[in-house]
Amino acid sequence: MPNYRCLIPKDALSYDQRARIATAFTDVHCGISAAPRNFVHVQFIEQDGNSQISNTHGNSEITFDTKYYIAGGNRAGRPPEVKDQILVGLIEEFCRISGVSRNDVSGHISEGPASWVMEGGHILPEPGEEPPEWYQNDV
Amino acid sequence: MIDIEITIQEGCIPEEIRDALVTSINDAFDQTFGSNHESISINWLQIPKGFGFRGGVPSTTSNVRGVIPDGCDQKTREALLSQIGENWCSVSGVLEDEVIISMRDRSWNG
Repeated sequence: MPNYRCLIPKDALSYDQRARIATAFTDVHCGISAAPRNFVHVQFIEQDGNSQISNTHGNSEITFDTKYYIAGGNRAGRPPEVKDQILVGLIEEFCRISGVSRNDVSGHISEGPASWVMEGGHILPEPGEEPPEWYQNDV
Repeated sequence: MIDIEITIQEGCIPEEIRDALVTSINDAFDQTFGSNHESISINWLQIPKGFGFRGGVPSTTSNVRGVIPDGCDQKTREALLSQIGENWCSVSGVLEDEVIISMRDRSWNG
């Protein structure tokens, strides 16, 4: 965690754009949350015509009506305004790098307890409680 | 039914070991809960090369994400996550840093 899935039309983005978006998402998330960079996972899923995706952090399908969609999953416990700030930042960077209109992109960040996740053999810490050694592998 | 979605990066988990990985996940549930657990349904999602990133660089990390009945205490949940991770690494040969495991309550809305 965090995990950001970008739903995009087939062949909509080049590898270079995807890589730059992934870096930008990492910059946004870590710049706001102070999470280690190595925590941030970004995937691009090509799908045409679908308007829903499973929620990785909840029990329902997520529905949307834009050509591009960012489905995020974060550790629970941050103030809502921080989550909103992250999502706005992600969408802005996505549009800047891809050239896609802001009207064609939407997103949502779901949350789950950190204690339900094991990464690197350890249960994830609560947001803001990351021990120093978690930053040693930062790229 | 316990639903599990496994996300892998293309080229990282050979097809020939996937059945063994599924067995290892079933084993982890048996090892944690005994035979007293719901049946398990597993779906695979493969992220093509060039479409998955971690920390801004191409990812090689797998993600095992499941939904379990409500009421699992933290100690048992941790034991389950640990066992799945240990079994996954044993079968695949990857290091524990290359697999993320999560199990959320069925009623959790996100």
